[in-house]
Amino acid sequence: MKWLSRVKRRPLSLTTRVMVFVALAIGLSLLMTAHLVQQAVKRHFAEQDADELIVITQAVERALRAGADDIPRLPEVLSHAVSGHHGVYFQVWSPDGQLIYGPSDDELLTPVTLYTPVSRILAANLHSWGAGGNAYRGAITQTLISGRNYRIVAAMDMNFHILFLDNFRRSLWLIMTLAGVVTLLAAWFGVHQGHAPLRGLSDTMRDVQADSLHVRIDPNIVPGELRGLVDSFNYMIGRLEDSFTRLSHFSADIAHELRTPLTNSITQTQVALNRARSLEEYQELLYSNLEEQERLAKMVNDMLWLAQSEHGLRKPVWEQLDLGHEVRELFDFFEALAEEKQIVLALDGSTPMLSGDRAMLRRAISNLLSNALRYTPAGQTINVKLKKTDDAWVELSVENPGLEIPAEHLPKIFDRFYRVDPSRQRLSEGTGLGLAITKSIIEAHCGYIEAFSDDVATCFSIRLPLVTAGIGA
Amino acid sequence: MRILVVEDELKTGDYLRQGLSEAGFMVTLARNGLDGHHLAMTEVFDLMVLDVMLPDVDGWRIMQSLREAGRQTPVLFLTARDSVEDRVKGLELGADDYLVKPFAFAELLARVRTLLRRSVAPVLSDQITVADLTLDLPRRRASRGGKKISLSHKEFCLLELLARREGEVLPRSLIASQVWDMNFDSDTNVIDVAIRRLRAKIDDDFPAKLIHTVRGMGYKLEIEDDNEVA
Repeated sequence: MKWLSRVKRRPLSLTTRVMVFVALAIGLSLLMTAHLVQQAVKRHFAEQDADELIVITQAVERALRAGADDIPRLPEVLSHAVSGHHGVYFQVWSPDGQLIYGPSDDELLTPVTLYTPVSRILAANLHSWGAGGNAYRGAITQTLISGRNYRIVAAMDMNFHILFLDNFRRSLWLIMTLAGVVTLLAAWFGVHQGHAPLRGLSDTMRDVQADSLHVRIDPNIVPGELRGLVDSFNYMIGRLEDSFTRLSHFSADIAHELRTPLTNSITQTQVALNRARSLEEYQELLYSNLEEQERLAKMVNDMLWLAQSEHGLRKPVWEQLDLGHEVRELFDFFEALAEEKQIVLALDGSTPMLSGDRAMLRRAISNLLSNALRYTPAGQTINVKLKKTDDAWVELSVENPGLEIPAEHLPKIFDRFYRVDPSRQRLSEGTGLGLAITKSIIEAHCGYIEAFSDDVATCFSIRLPLVTAGIGA
Repeated sequence: MRILVVEDELKTGDYLRQGLSEAGFMVTLARNGLDGHHLAMTEVFDLMVLDVMLPDVDGWRIMQSLREAGRQTPVLFLTARDSVEDRVKGLELGADDYLVKPFAFAELLARVRTLLRRSVAPVLSDQITVADLTLDLPRRRASRGGKKISLSHKEFCLLELLARREGEVLPRSLIASQVWDMNFDSDTNVIDVAIRRLRAKIDDDFPAKLIHTVRGMGYKLEIEDDNEVA
């Protein structure tokens, strides 16, 4: 069924995976060990048997040599040839195929007809056969004595061996199975124990609350394999803590920024209403209130603007534009202000056309320019530089001479309501949201903004991608 | 000039009626969409100011009915939402202008006047004269009391805007948008500086001042009249 394959199955647990692999490996190695041991024991028996059969055959050959001349007495000589050996049989066949000596049971006749004689007995060329409910192992040799070719069949009872091997095999399998089970249990325990740091980590992570975002896990107390995880977790918590702190600062800042104009307005009105005033005084109060209210409205508008753009509700309206042209238009706009402050606005370089939202980009650059105009000393120059970098990006930088922004403030300068010098809060114009808006506009254009500052100049650098195709749809 | 205002918010409705009446318009205020729709369809107005968000019949419906009935009365929309889609929808339906709340009253007044002027036949003239100030539009030259005043391009544009809308209070945002095409609130006092520089050229050498600051609202160009208080 097609839909069946679509059903996402939960991946196998780590323990199961490890256990399957361990079971396979252990099973395979135990099987091989058992097989090898069995083979070795068998071979050992065969070699022992071969040695014994050689001894017997040699004894028979000696007897044959001694009694070769007296053929009728030969069986008697042979009957004494082998003594002291238990469960051993031998036959001697004359060259014409007559059984000279040895048991003549049908079963024991089999090998002579079946196997060809060998000149030397080895463990490898022994033969096994069954006869009368017994198992035998033996060898056939041929020997030339006094010009006559005798064949000697030496065999021995193997029942004992087989019994031993059977018992041996049974114990072997029992031991191997037990070893396998013990190994698997040990492996399971090991895996379980191995996961203990993971469970500890999980417990620590579960305890992280909004108010305990400062928690970090020491990467040195976990096994090496988990170090990457711990590092990633710490990094994640770090970023969370950072944005959380910013957010709570932001709320506090909003409250503060809104409270100041509100308090002004309320106090002024209360004072004014304390006693009867002239028409002009009432007018003055209304104007003053209006100014505070406009401040509030602008701040709220800017905050709404930021919130909307952050939630993707404010999408750029894409069109092809020339940054150089936009900067010149903005210079035109700020010209009067710059001249009054005796500041020169200079533009250097150019860029190819790029797609962007004209009104948004104008607003972004305008915030940088008004910022620069605010902090540049009279008689100096604000330099705007445009250039295309070799990797299909466009760089716009606004550089103005002026006091250095201390390095610790630079990363936060784009935060809402962030002011380098808290004391100039009310003195400077604007809502304290300008740079935050600029950053959000640049990010909506898939670009980056950075600030640099040294004791000579401060520079804001914007990087915009030349190709933003696909976003415009 | 008759203006229909459809606005369900009590305070906004009240101050729109008061402000527009005091600016010399005859204002009819409807406090819900149903009344507004009825008035729009049965009476004749020179302009309608419609709130988009109304509890019963929304501003878009009212305008749709109006356009379907073949009435081309200019419509200015007021809305609390500022999104491109809303703007596009309003303009597609045939709205003439669009204003996002909260707005400055001077801004609304300026736009209302623009729309009303647009519906009257445009005056194509080569010259604007206010008191002894004369603007020669094709040559982009200004003179006062027969004396030539040299102005930069933007200064002339600014003066032209003020002169064309003589007597109207123009808010800073409108000036920035019309003269420099900057459609956002600048944090700076650029407009004030520009006006100050223009004033130095136009008014400083003459006893009768033409450019006036209306505190809290904006600027206007007018023959001085002691009776008028903004």
